[in-house]
Amino acid sequence: MAAAASGGRGGGTAADWGGFEDNMQGGGSAVIDMENMDDTSGSSFEDMGEMHQRMKEEEEEEEAEGEAGAAEEEDGEFLGMKGLRGQLGRQVADQMWQVGKRQASRAFSLYANIDILRPYFDVEPIQVRARLLESMIPVKMINFPQKIAGELYGPLMLVFTLVAILLHGMKTSDTIIREGTLMGTAIGTCFGYWLGVSSFIYFLAYLCNAQITMVQMLSLLGYGLFGHCITLFVTYNIHFHSLFYIFWLGVGGLSTLRMVAVLVSRTVGHTQRLILCGTLAALHMLFLLYLHFAYHKVVEGILDTLEGPNMPPFQRVARDIPVVSNAVLNTTAKAIALTL
Amino acid sequence: MMQQQQPYTGQIYQPTQTYTPTSAQSFYGSNFEDEPPLLEELGINFDHIWQKTLTVLHPLKVADGSIMNETDLAGPMVFCLAFGATLLLAGKIQFGYVYGISAIGCLGMFCLLNLMSMTGVSFGCIASVLGYCLLPMILLSTFAIVFSLQGMMGIILTAGIIGWCSFSASKIFISALAMEGQQLLVAYPCALLYGVFALISVF
Repeated sequence: MAAAASGGRGGGTAADWGGFEDNMQGGGSAVIDMENMDDTSGSSFEDMGEMHQRMKEEEEEEEAEGEAGAAEEEDGEFLGMKGLRGQLGRQVADQMWQVGKRQASRAFSLYANIDILRPYFDVEPIQVRARLLESMIPVKMINFPQKIAGELYGPLMLVFTLVAILLHGMKTSDTIIREGTLMGTAIGTCFGYWLGVSSFIYFLAYLCNAQITMVQMLSLLGYGLFGHCITLFVTYNIHFHSLFYIFWLGVGGLSTLRMVAVLVSRTVGHTQRLILCGTLAALHMLFLLYLHFAYHKVVEGILDTLEGPNMPPFQRVARDIPVVSNAVLNTTAKAIALTL
Repeated sequence: MMQQQQPYTGQIYQPTQTYTPTSAQSFYGSNFEDEPPLLEELGINFDHIWQKTLTVLHPLKVADGSIMNETDLAGPMVFCLAFGATLLLAGKIQFGYVYGISAIGCLGMFCLLNLMSMTGVSFGCIASVLGYCLLPMILLSTFAIVFSLQGMMGIILTAGIIGWCSFSASKIFISALAMEGQQLLVAYPCALLYGVFALISVF
């Protein structure tokens, strides 16, 4: 195998198609021994390891020969004159293999870095409960920066709870999503809001010179969804518009005030405070309004009827005779008349 | 440098003894008797399956942490199929939803528990535990065949069954991963997952 390989390489540097015949055994024999054939396609990945090794040996040989000779050979290879023999193909495939290997190892190390999120999930139940309750209490002291817990367990669970509440609301009101699934819509809405608005407010905070990190922003907005969860849980089951507005202003307002107060304590300057907190308040309150009206269509008709959710699953409906057009009726009648 | 050559102690110059059975009958006999039982070969241990099922069904029974060391997916597979079958009896052909939700739920719990626990946890262990704790949900969907779950009693029953499932699952996770004091934190995501299963059963 090594002899044939070196013969192949020698043939490659000498001529184009003539080198191919060098590999034939016994001159005019029609039988080709595949073991001695130099595989010139060079694109099989199983052979890549072996070819990589051979390329290394080849490079060492070329270095020993001298730079002038190596330069000439390289020129020839670059111009693709030797490409017809598969050397260019081999090099391209080899490069692809190396790039693929590098990308795979990079992706693997990126995946293994899920451990960087580990410290954000190190919480006790007492802490989570305390933070949930605190998220509804606006702070009074805005003169020095308020502490924000950089924790992701609570916010993540709150987002999933919101997804569950949305799903429940959609199911009880028989909402039909045409372009997608209920689960996908709910997850997309909630996670999109949490991640998207957090990123946007973080960007605004960067512009307005506020002292807040991305994890803290995610945590703050996540805990701010607690108010949304309570409001939607209550108003998806008790259908009174006035009750919703009371909850919207009361519960939603409290959680918004809390977030606004924390941000104000971390920002300097009136204009910056106004921009940042105004944007956050508007987005937060409008999101609650949107969730109520878009995902739980309270059809007033259902409240009026007596059945409601206790409708029997199967109903007998009188089967109508399908309506046919007049033309068909007329031609049928004429045909029957003719036959009589 | 040439050292004193050591005597060759291999057996390359001696032909290996080929097995010559005395008769065809005894050849078959010895091999057949030496084989382990089929269930043992497949890794299905009925006693362990029964133990784990009892652990799930008795919410107050203390779970043994070592029973979850072996990844047994035969039981969970049976339970998922039974859940799908009871949904089928209620007129809902939703095997695909059960498969999808259990796959995504197991993946989510795997990521979360790996981040929350000191020692890591394998995906098979998570899938096994979550599958076993699906058993009370089968009771719920059996009930849904006969009665509608959309009244007040249905809501209470659903909430009770979700609590039972998530309590059992968190109890087993806590004992297997040594995460004392965090049972509620583990129970809540389990409750959300089983809540989605309950949503399929109810609606």
